Amino acid sequence: MKMVAEEPQGPPVELSVFSGPLDLLLHLIKQNEVSIYDIPIFSICDQFNAHLKEMQELDLDSAGDFLWMASWLLHLKSKMLLPQVDEGAEDPREELVERLLAYRRVKELASFLHDSDIVRRCLWIPEVAADVGAGEEAELDWEDVDLSVLAQAYLYVMQRFAASHPPPIKVLPLRFRVEDKMKDIYELVRTDGLVPLLRHLNSRSDPVEVVTVMVAALELVRLRGVFAEQRRPFAEIYLRPGDRTLGAQELLTRGENGG
Amino acid sequence: MDKDTLTAVVEAILLTASGPVTVSAVTEAIGDRKVGEEEVATIFEAIGKNFEKPGSGLRLEKVAGGWRCTTPPTLDPYLRSFHGIAARQRLSQAALEVLAIVAHRQPVTLPEINFIRGTNSASVVRTLLERGLLRMAGRKKVVGKPFLYRTSKEFLVHFGLERAEDLPDPEDLVKDETATVE
Repeated sequence: MKMVAEEPQGPPVELSVFSGPLDLLLHLIKQNEVSIYDIPIFSICDQFNAHLKEMQELDLDSAGDFLWMASWLLHLKSKMLLPQVDEGAEDPREELVERLLAYRRVKELASFLHDSDIVRRCLWIPEVAADVGAGEEAELDWEDVDLSVLAQAYLYVMQRFAASHPPPIKVLPLRFRVEDKMKDIYELVRTDGLVPLLRHLNSRSDPVEVVTVMVAALELVRLRGVFAEQRRPFAEIYLRPGDRTLGAQELLTRGENGG
Repeated sequence: MDKDTLTAVVEAILLTASGPVTVSAVTEAIGDRKVGEEEVATIFEAIGKNFEKPGSGLRLEKVAGGWRCTTPPTLDPYLRSFHGIAARQRLSQAALEVLAIVAHRQPVTLPEINFIRGTNSASVVRTLLERGLLRMAGRKKVVGKPFLYRTSKEFLVHFGLERAEDLPDPEDLVKDETATVE
């Protein structure tokens, strides 16, 4: 990550470019051109908080880390305000300096790895056909075996097991028959004269039954046993007696005899 | 076995191996009592030197305790164009920092990594484990028994290192320890 040097009063840099509160702190120290061993806590603390305010959105995890650092800086600031009673007392900033130095070493090594990553990403290696040595399992280095490798192997085995053992197909007993429903509806229409089909369907909770009733109604209409009418789209569908009388036999065989 | 045949054998093995090839594995594969590891090692060196010229698209490098055949980085644009691969994703700053910490202080636990970075690194560590750049190395015998992490062989290969110890000392990398400007 390359930080562009700005004047101290420049616009706050977006926080997402910092990998953590220590990163931001190092940036501020560099920007203010001050020594890491003699951090002007007052101004650094204020600048840190200014950056924090600019934080429009930050996930809870990293926001917490930044807030923790802000509170630490405030704590140091208050300590610095107190008069030093004991001359030999250690600098309250010491721990912060140590953390910053340790983090700076990490950053330097990370930047070395970054440069190496850029170059080495451009290397290509011969593509070895998958069937080379397919006869035997590739041998694993003991060093490379860890929990994640085992977990991967386990997941792979379980996947293979699941693939070769599909769950059995459940055959549900036939609960509703179109013929029965045809008979029910036909008799209902004959006695009531006018049957609201949609209301009739809505009163059923079982989707299988709803479908069966619907098919039965359509079948009856086809056989001209009942007529269906609807005033306008999506309105209630009314069933009324049709122009043909259907016998019990005809209902039972779904009108195949009647053609 | 004469030197030409030996060179040919080693070259062929390098071309068809899927990872770094160790001298001992090649010596064992040749199975000739008169051919020792020292001789095979010199053959590797010779092949590497032979590749190392402007007119060659091959390079030999020593990584993770073995030798591996690769290409000069300058040829990457042509190779990507040929294979139809767009620019590849680089490691994030957070990932590089975690790798740096683990490489330098391994074995190391997540709380230790978090402390040094000053921020939570759990998801970064998980991603690096998935990418095979880190590996778990047991648990630390402290309260909570946190997992210990180490860099993997893949890490060495990716960064072209023979051993993790070959990384530079971060102390030497810090240029201006007392960045004071009055």
